[in-house]
Amino acid sequence: MKSIELIGKGKEMHGRAYIEVMPDELENAIKKLKENGFNHFVMLSCIDWLEEEKFELVYHLWSYEVKEHVMLSVRMNRNNASMPSMSHLFPQIETYEREIHEMYGIEFDGNNRLTPFLLENWHHAPPMRKDFDSEKFVGKLYESIPFIEEDENEGI
Amino acid sequence: MGLYIGDKMMKYEEWSKLAIKVSKASLWMLHFCTGCGAIEMPPVMTSRYDMERFGIAPMATPRQADVLLITGYLTVKTLRRVIQVYEQMQSPKYVIAFGSCTINGGMYWDSYNTIKHLEKYIPVDVYITGCMPRPEGIINAFIKLMELIDEGKARGWEKYQKYYDKYKENQRRVFNFEIEGENEEY
Ligand code: SF4
Repeated sequence: MKSIELIGKGKEMHGRAYIEVMPDELENAIKKLKENGFNHFVMLSCIDWLEEEKFELVYHLWSYEVKEHVMLSVRMNRNNASMPSMSHLFPQIETYEREIHEMYGIEFDGNNRLTPFLLENWHHAPPMRKDFDSEKFVGKLYESIPFIEEDENEGI
Repeated sequence: MGLYIGDKMMKYEEWSKLAIKVSKASLWMLHFCTGCGAIEMPPVMTSRYDMERFGIAPMATPRQADVLLITGYLTVKTLRRVIQVYEQMQSPKYVIAFGSCTINGGMYWDSYNTIKHLEKYIPVDVYITGCMPRPEGIINAFIKLMELIDEGKARGWEKYQKYYDKYKENQRRVFNFEIEGENEEY
């Protein structure tokens, strides 16, 4: 596959190229792909590998010339996770970074728009992290709010 | 204070009761299309099921509507908008809630971000069960609402006025994701 040849490593997975890079190689890898026809940035996704104490970010790019989907994967430690922002390469990355910052709590150095995005007034732990106990949270918040019962004797 | 109908004087209270009773024949609805249930509205409105047979018509703004339809799950963020819409509507006003999501959270029962029981935040007059309800179910709910109005039982809006403080307290808690007595992390 063209992208694997360009970067010099990686493997084919379900018809896509899957390339693992180190955080410091990421910027050059994206640049190189962008200059060689992979000029459609599809999305940025995030995976929480709780047991391995890692976060994985996957940068999806697409080339219309060779019709090839490439996934650039980069891993980082779960504690104080941070990654340089790539929004100068593709401006739309800024929005994905905002979302991932809100949902997983990853810092993106160089992105100065990491403000609250989808959630309003949220002040608990980032909710998409695997150690966020959603069921317990629901019990403590939504289920503990009382129903409004009518006073039988009074009526309305 | 009263109103003359022919040469008969009608007390204001009687008049307003009568007005509510007859208004059931022309329910104007505002469909707040959240969740999946919104997809069932077009067939209900258009020629296949044709809700206008029953005097139900869609309205553009909350101020002209009698019935508010909540068509599925609500996130906390959407709930805030729903309440703004509900409070703009003029009394008497009714709420019909669609599907399991508004009853008890449905398949989003363990989501961090959807409210589970709509009833805790605004009064609901009729629930439609199902995930999602069929058009027949929706029309059935309107017929049920008409019956309730006729019997004087669709009084959610009065309940909202009476327990306004309690509703506001519940709304405030959920908007701020406020968990009582602790700041523990989840
Ligand atoms: S009750 Fe079912 S159909 Fe309706 S909003 Fe919830 S998940 Fe969707």
